[in-house]
Amino acid sequence: MTPSGPTPVQAAREAARRGRLRQPTAWLRLGILAAFALVPLVAPSFKVTDLALKIALFATLAASYDVVIGYTGIVSFGHAMYFGIGAYAVALALGKLGGVTYGHLGLGFLAGILVSAAVAALIGAFSLRVKAIFFAMITLAFAEFALILAVQWTPLTGGEDGLSPRLPGVFAVSWAGGQFLGVPLGARSVTYYAVLAACLALFLVMSRFVHSPLGRTLQAIRDNELRAEALGYRTFVFQLAASSFGSVVATVVGGLYAVWVRYVNPESTLGVPIMLDVLLMVIIGGLGTLYGGIVGAAVLLTARTLLPDLRALGAALAPGSEILQRLADRWLLYFGVLFILVVFFFPKGVLGTLREARSRPASEPARPPIRT
Amino acid sequence: MTQVTKTRLLVLITVALLLAPLLSIEPRTYLTLSVAGLAMGMLIFLVASGLTLIFGLMDVLNFAHGALFSWGAFVGFSIAVSLDRRFHWATSGSVGANLLILLLALTATVLVTAALGLLLERVIVRPVYGQHLFQILITLGATIVLEELIRIVWGPNDQVMPVPLTLQGSWDVADVVVLRFPVVAIGLGLLVYAGMRLVLNRTRVGLIVRAGVENGEMVQVMGHNLSRYFTGVFAAGSGLAGVGGLMWAMFSQSVRPAMGGEQLVFAFIVVIIGGLGSVTGSLVGALLVGLSYNYVAFLLPKAAIGVNMALMVLILLLRPTGLFGAGK
Repeated sequence: MTPSGPTPVQAAREAARRGRLRQPTAWLRLGILAAFALVPLVAPSFKVTDLALKIALFATLAASYDVVIGYTGIVSFGHAMYFGIGAYAVALALGKLGGVTYGHLGLGFLAGILVSAAVAALIGAFSLRVKAIFFAMITLAFAEFALILAVQWTPLTGGEDGLSPRLPGVFAVSWAGGQFLGVPLGARSVTYYAVLAACLALFLVMSRFVHSPLGRTLQAIRDNELRAEALGYRTFVFQLAASSFGSVVATVVGGLYAVWVRYVNPESTLGVPIMLDVLLMVIIGGLGTLYGGIVGAAVLLTARTLLPDLRALGAALAPGSEILQRLADRWLLYFGVLFILVVFFFPKGVLGTLREARSRPASEPARPPIRT
Repeated sequence: MTQVTKTRLLVLITVALLLAPLLSIEPRTYLTLSVAGLAMGMLIFLVASGLTLIFGLMDVLNFAHGALFSWGAFVGFSIAVSLDRRFHWATSGSVGANLLILLLALTATVLVTAALGLLLERVIVRPVYGQHLFQILITLGATIVLEELIRIVWGPNDQVMPVPLTLQGSWDVADVVVLRFPVVAIGLGLLVYAGMRLVLNRTRVGLIVRAGVENGEMVQVMGHNLSRYFTGVFAAGSGLAGVGGLMWAMFSQSVRPAMGGEQLVFAFIVVIIGGLGSVTGSLVGALLVGLSYNYVAFLLPKAAIGVNMALMVLILLLRPTGLFGAGK
């Protein structure tokens, strides 16, 4: 091997890097980002803007879950807990420390990240060595515990009612507004762009993480843990790192959620329904695709927002039709059937199926194997 | 620590934990709570016994178990209501008629839920054996569909479950309140336990099933149609879920479409605590959960929901394979 020239692997990587902007997917990603950036300028109502940013937030959350479940193969049912920790940390720092400054905001994020990292490392250290399904149940147990804590510790968390933090400076509702390049900006718009920028940054960090040598090792562990161990990797340490990293990202997303919604309660940030939503988003988008979460979040959240409108429309079109009404009331039934069919026929999700179609003949395994 | 000392330590801790409430509860209340806890544990065991077969033995993460539980409750509810309306078998004081209505409701429940389980296994579970994540997703979908079907057939509201007159009320044994229905549940639970032990350990079918779980290919090479056996086990587990649902409905005297989901977490905890595939483990786990829930609910009502989770985490930390799990 010549010491001066690049190795074949390095050469291939260089080629891939140079061809990056010629790929359609790169433009697709930029297009999606541009669309998100344009939403508050063209959106007809706040409802649409709110939906767009929630899609961005949950896409980031789903991506962070994908790092854990899709890239590392760890099935955790406690991911929503970290989201909740972040949301509560920011809300508490802004609401209970007496001051509302940028410093308090930063402190909230920092505290949330530290708590999450500690909790994730602790749970991982205790239970990553047990059978995968036991790990899933233990994380579920901790998530349930966090939910109970948030509901019961009323003096601190506000119980079921939750917290409504006030935000500092340009994020505050009271901010007079300003101009940027001649476009008037309100507090809502500033918050929107700040949160969107943070989501973008998190996506870039996660992309860097899964494509780093560390990320490659994680995928190796996911595909064949025994082999990775035989190659000399301490798989436990890598799994711990991956689950902690995913948890910290989820915490930051939780904090951003608190900043945007300005309201935190147990039902909307902790608990099993959120967890199931995120799981569904990752599955719809595709395991191990990172960007699949955008598709999953868009599909799920849009459907949920539009559904009441659709039912109202159905009632308006066919008034008095009781059968139609009853069928519409049981929409969940069709969702269940549809979901089973999707899992059966598109087990790789939207993005996974598309990627596979583009790169035929695929040499990868048919499904990302999950550690069992 | 060696295995023996660890096991002894565990037994010691368990006994100490179960006796600890005596420090702050007077003995008579303690006995009442214990009886209630045992009864609750037995009811949980009835739910968990089916899951022991499906999740513990066959390693299928069946989240639809809760929906089958609800189906069992509603089928039993229909039978009991219609029989009572025509013959007044539940409201009459006749012991024979009361037991007959219970028996008929149980039979119908087992038949319907076992048939549903058969359908589930054939259609959606069979393609995903060995893939945990997809089992979770598929059976979650099935749960949604099954629960919605309940809402379509029986309506979305809570309904009152008729309980045979003889099984209502309580006995007073030496100042300890003993509810009648839980005693029936304890009897039925013991019967189910004995039956499962017998079939799994003493019969040819049980042998083939256990061998098939260990090494399916080998059993198939020996000429047994393993997939038929697995379908049978799944159907049996589903039938037991139905039994659990019916008994729980009579215990709480109401039926709700979503009642299965709440019990599912209990059942999973019990199976994991007991150790995968161990029927005895499930029984012990269920009794532990029932007892500790009752003690804690009496002492610290707010902490009652968390105690089962704490119990599971504690046991898994000490014994990662559960109480009676084989150390694989």
